[in-house]
Amino acid sequence: MKEKKIALVGNPNVGKSTLFNLLTGLRQKVGNYPGMTVEKKTGTFIYGDTKFNLIDLPGTYGIYPTSLDEQVVTDILNNPEHPNHPELAVVVGEPTNLKRSVFLFQQVRDSGIPALFVINMMDEAEKSGIEFDKEKLNQRLQANVIFTDARNGKGIEELKKALSSELEIHEMNYRIPKEFSQAISAIKELNPSLNDYRAWQYLAQNEIKNLPEEEKIQLNKTKSEHKIISRRLQVKETLQRYERIDEDLKDVLTRKEKRPASLTEKLDRIFIHPASGYLIFFGLLLLIFQAVFAWSAPFMDFIDEGFAWLSGSVGSILPEGPVNGLITDGIIAGIGGIVIFIPQIAILFLFISVMEESGYMSRVVYLMDRWLKPFGLSGKSAVPLMSGAACAIPAVMSARNIENDKERLITILVTPFITCSARLPIYVIIIGLIIPEQTFYGFNLQGIALFAMYVIGVLGALGSAWVLKKIIRSNFKSYLILELPTYKLPVWRNVLLTVWEKSSGFIFGAGKIILAISIILWVLGSFGFSEDFKNAEQIVSTQNPGLNGQSLENEVASYKLEHSILGNMGQVIEPVIEPLGYDWKMGIGLISSFAAREVFVGTMATVYSLGDTEDDLTIRERMGKEVNQITGKSAYNFATGASLLLFYAFAMQCMSTIAVVRKETDSWKWTFIQLAFMTGLAYIAALIAYQLLK
Amino acid sequence: MWIEFVEMNEPVALYTLKTGQSGRILGFASDDVPMKLYELGLIPGSFVTLKKKLPFGGPVCIRILETSNLIALRKSEADSILIERFL
Repeated sequence: MKEKKIALVGNPNVGKSTLFNLLTGLRQKVGNYPGMTVEKKTGTFIYGDTKFNLIDLPGTYGIYPTSLDEQVVTDILNNPEHPNHPELAVVVGEPTNLKRSVFLFQQVRDSGIPALFVINMMDEAEKSGIEFDKEKLNQRLQANVIFTDARNGKGIEELKKALSSELEIHEMNYRIPKEFSQAISAIKELNPSLNDYRAWQYLAQNEIKNLPEEEKIQLNKTKSEHKIISRRLQVKETLQRYERIDEDLKDVLTRKEKRPASLTEKLDRIFIHPASGYLIFFGLLLLIFQAVFAWSAPFMDFIDEGFAWLSGSVGSILPEGPVNGLITDGIIAGIGGIVIFIPQIAILFLFISVMEESGYMSRVVYLMDRWLKPFGLSGKSAVPLMSGAACAIPAVMSARNIENDKERLITILVTPFITCSARLPIYVIIIGLIIPEQTFYGFNLQGIALFAMYVIGVLGALGSAWVLKKIIRSNFKSYLILELPTYKLPVWRNVLLTVWEKSSGFIFGAGKIILAISIILWVLGSFGFSEDFKNAEQIVSTQNPGLNGQSLENEVASYKLEHSILGNMGQVIEPVIEPLGYDWKMGIGLISSFAAREVFVGTMATVYSLGDTEDDLTIRERMGKEVNQITGKSAYNFATGASLLLFYAFAMQCMSTIAVVRKETDSWKWTFIQLAFMTGLAYIAALIAYQLLK
Repeated sequence: MWIEFVEMNEPVALYTLKTGQSGRILGFASDDVPMKLYELGLIPGSFVTLKKKLPFGGPVCIRILETSNLIALRKSEADSILIERFL
């Protein structure tokens, strides 16, 4: 079967993704361009005797990049050697902003890439009273323009047919100004394969990324010999192209004058109003938080119980022994720990994709930019930050929608500081231990403390964003130049595809790492080298002859954990955590809570021989009695408690977040920087708190 | 594309417009405004109307004549676009 590489190119908000989803359906793959946070969407479909390999390039307005995402488009289109360089570009436009689309179409086609021009969203044309003279349009563009309406599938057959048909012969649209002909000749002498416009690109682009170093130097020499200032060429080209497009399209489009105020205008009077706009947005944020936090709970309980049942029944079928433990406590529990996030991810992305699809998300950027920009964040960062209060996993994933790469990276790096729901059980227990249950001017002291922990999380996120903004370099200036598209009803196929893609992407993308770490943690907690570990039952029953039944079992579990590899590791790290006021038993809890923060409570319950209890009061009572062997004071006094709270507020104690950050940044470097930064900050904060308070 | 005006006004920054006021773009205050402004059609000669403004130096929304979508700009971008105000 023949294969053909096709790229979808287009301005933002022209329904390019809807078209992509319609063509490829579930046969699509979402990942990253190597080493970048830029999203790469590819897919395939078969039509006639050809298999089409589609790539959905990031939205762009032209081929002179002003962001990393646009840089990707330029690199792919301008470099015939690039693995994603298309044999055919499908440039998608929309009728209400036709000039911008034509502009991009002509740039792409002048670059020597065969290109089809598709005008999508034809329903919009009707709504805003725009009429086309299609014949004239074809003639002026020297193309066979295809009209589609991807929302309801109109025109898709024509498009598919056109993908394999011959294209019209056309002349170069852009006439390169005479004064540059010498410079163009010089470039073409060095690179005979270039057409005039590609040669112009060599002069006009700030950098041709794919050139080898010596050719870059040669190019820069040619540029300075001919006194070329790239930016001036870009401006010149853009102005000349628009002048010509104005001329060409003058009698192609007719617009009915004086249409009544559109629905979009009416909605915007409320949605981006300086008062009601913020009110509605914060209401929506609360609703999202509530949904991710509460609506997901029954599903998560169901998954939890389902996997507990599965692990129980598999455990009873298999013979006793380490293999049984590995399968039930290691693998099944590990997979359960991955699947448990799906309800939260699905619910959050249901909201986010509806916000994106409807056009509301651009309004969020407009409203929030002023407040988040000083911290190096995007207006869109508000959504990841807020949903981080439920869980950092879906929140980090939602940062992908941010356009600017630096703002996207910072958002990913700081979102885990926000107090997530997994920190809550730890906070509740420790606050219960160290803060008296009294009221202060009518406020519950423990409630104030819990609130303070949330504030600390927000301060941690914004503070480190501010620091990262100073450190992280970007080749692109930060700006806000954003179209606010008209409001539309979401295309449900797109919404469902997004939810599906995010959920499956998490399971298969981040799941591997989570499963690997949970198996390692299981091995660490279930095996030991020492004689103490091997003879745990015997030693415990000799030491405590009176014990039997459940209490004996709990005591043995505690003894085993203390003498497992994990227990040994707790003892090894004791000197490191001692200045924070912790003993090695808490060290065990710290290491094992890497699986998920809330595991700390369960681990401490096992360490203190309470078995599998999840009753807060029992655990709290037992923890209250625990005495630190080094200091001889209560193990959970005010100083250690405050220190633990701060440690859990800042530390990156969550392998699933690490896995998801790795997936989203496509970089171990940033993953480790985040891990080191957060854990370092946690250590210092806990150290200061303990040393001051003890 | 160039239209003569009987009354010429001093160039002012787009940001100084009040909501509902219009003007014609004359040029840019600096040499390195993002190319994206040009690509969106915010080029000398275009007619723009300021549609929305957020308080505390927040962004503005403008509309280019004959286009349907609003364009949001930060104050710094709106400050760099020089226009001729219509009286």
